[in-house]
Amino acid sequence: MSRGNLIKLAAAAILLTFPMTGFASDYLLHVLTLIMVYMVLAMGLNIVPGFCGLLDLGFVGFYGIGAYTAGLLTINYGLSMWMLVPLAALNGAVWGILLGAPTLRLTGDYFAIVTFGFSELVVLFLTNEIWLTRGPLGLPGIEPASIDLSWLSTMINPDWDWYYEFYGETPYFYLAIAMVLGVYFMMRRLEDSRLGRAWYAIREDPLAAASSGINILNYKVIAFAISAGIGALAGCFFARWTLFLSPDMFKFWESFLVLCMVVLGGLGNINGALVGATVLIALGEVLRGVLPTLGLPAETRFMAYGLIMVLIMRFRPAGFIPKIADASLKNPIIIKLKRELKAKGALS
Amino acid sequence: MLEQQLINGLTLGVIYAMIAVGYTMVYGVIELINFAHGEIFMLGAFFCMTFITVFGVPFYLAIFLAMCCCAVCGVLLDIIAYRPLRNSPRLAALITAIGMSIFLQNLALMIWGSRPRPFPKDALPEFFSQTALTFGDVKLTWLQLFIFAVTIAMMVGLNLIITKTKAGTAMRALAQNKQAAALMGINVNRIISFTFILGSSMGAVAGVLVSVFYNTMYPMMGYTAGVKAFAAAVLGGIGSVPGAMIGGVILGVAEALGAGYVSSLYRDGVAYAIMIAVILFRPSGILGRLVGDKA
Repeated sequence: MSRGNLIKLAAAAILLTFPMTGFASDYLLHVLTLIMVYMVLAMGLNIVPGFCGLLDLGFVGFYGIGAYTAGLLTINYGLSMWMLVPLAALNGAVWGILLGAPTLRLTGDYFAIVTFGFSELVVLFLTNEIWLTRGPLGLPGIEPASIDLSWLSTMINPDWDWYYEFYGETPYFYLAIAMVLGVYFMMRRLEDSRLGRAWYAIREDPLAAASSGINILNYKVIAFAISAGIGALAGCFFARWTLFLSPDMFKFWESFLVLCMVVLGGLGNINGALVGATVLIALGEVLRGVLPTLGLPAETRFMAYGLIMVLIMRFRPAGFIPKIADASLKNPIIIKLKRELKAKGALS
Repeated sequence: MLEQQLINGLTLGVIYAMIAVGYTMVYGVIELINFAHGEIFMLGAFFCMTFITVFGVPFYLAIFLAMCCCAVCGVLLDIIAYRPLRNSPRLAALITAIGMSIFLQNLALMIWGSRPRPFPKDALPEFFSQTALTFGDVKLTWLQLFIFAVTIAMMVGLNLIITKTKAGTAMRALAQNKQAAALMGINVNRIISFTFILGSSMGAVAGVLVSVFYNTMYPMMGYTAGVKAFAAAVLGGIGSVPGAMIGGVILGVAEALGAGYVSSLYRDGVAYAIMIAVILFRPSGILGRLVGDKA
């Protein structure tokens, strides 16, 4: 077993047994779950700027769409969590396509600005359409997630309790682990698929990609839709976990925070997104605890975020775990070829 | 009713135009969306207020001092945050700009507190609130006339600087082709600093005028105003100074009419919707040349 796998196994063992140890307070479990929500968000956003090289400033819009889809459907129609997961993700993806199809032919800053405008419009909609979302008052009374297997009881044993409600932090902690693992493996598979390779090609050289027969726009729209779907999935979990939503939770700041995580970890690197989410949320919690003892107000936390971002861009523009951009660099034949060329002095 | 809305929209529009000019000049020269420009605008209002309340400086002098302070802030912003990234990927520069925006916003929040403050009324000339002109039902206050006069004067001045002076010519050369301009002996960094000075001092004046017009200022005001001004710059054609002026005026009027006749709740939404529509259908804007492919 390789070292990387051993580390992963150890981490999994620690995580799975953590709630049973004496260290696990509700606060710690809450923060860990929050980290995992942001891990999913960071992995989802990573697809667009990381794999395709397009700056998406509107990611939080899809997160909000997913959360409100889940919240509204469960309040108005009493749908269960398990129905909502695909519905919310699908709704996010549909909006991703609606926004992406006309805008993804834009390049660079223009695309960034359109997505930014979109997320602002989502917040305005959530704030102003009071008949639907209750506006700034927020959306309380969302049911917690539950598992209802009572239909099985008649077949097996009617006396057992076939209903389980996710109550408190611990069950959500496990649910979040499942969600992170699911999305992580999906991302791993995507990265090595034809789709993932096409994205890399587009990112590295759109012209070359187009001339080798890749339909750039289609692949970008697919990337955008998957990214939006993952954002909405995280939103669905978030709604069922906090049981309260308000438009303030989905402001531009969140998009920036998730973007920071992606860039901090290294654009296009899936493990980097996980590291970025952990570092920034943990840092936020530490600052939240430390700053008041130093007599500094809470605003310094956000100042610190802004400053950290500037400093990272200044000294590590590629993030902490930069991705080897070109997959072919890992190819043994190419490595050998490069070594030979270097020996001949043809390659510096 | 319609005429009054139009006048109010025009007043806002010329102010947006002043902020938009700052965006568009910086974009023209270094091709960076300076997200922190909205914060410079906000700082202008707060500097002016601080000079009046803390140091007892008269109103007109306070505006001038706020312009100077913001010019310094703009240049520092460039030197500290943007200059080291001149040759980095555009993504890095854009994220830095957002980072600086959030940093400055929260710095102001820490210094001046989060509660909205009124503009110190006693410092204002008394005639500001009186009606200057009436046409039928439409009233025009001296304050609005003052805003028009100041903005028009600044716009004319800016156009003279850009077209007639040596530095202005260098700026335009830089916007066309940085390498060629450098080869012609233009000190690129100095001209970029000059651009930031011009843009930031105009942003400061706009900040003061907005806070006087609405009689309120708060640390978050740079955010929405910045987005709207950016929308105005896009509408007019980003990189084009006259375009930004026209775009600002159109946006202000559209917003006032939208708030009056469609829904006041979506006042801010008008700007975003216009911005998205323009980018989709005519990315080069009304007067712009297409720079989108450079990205």
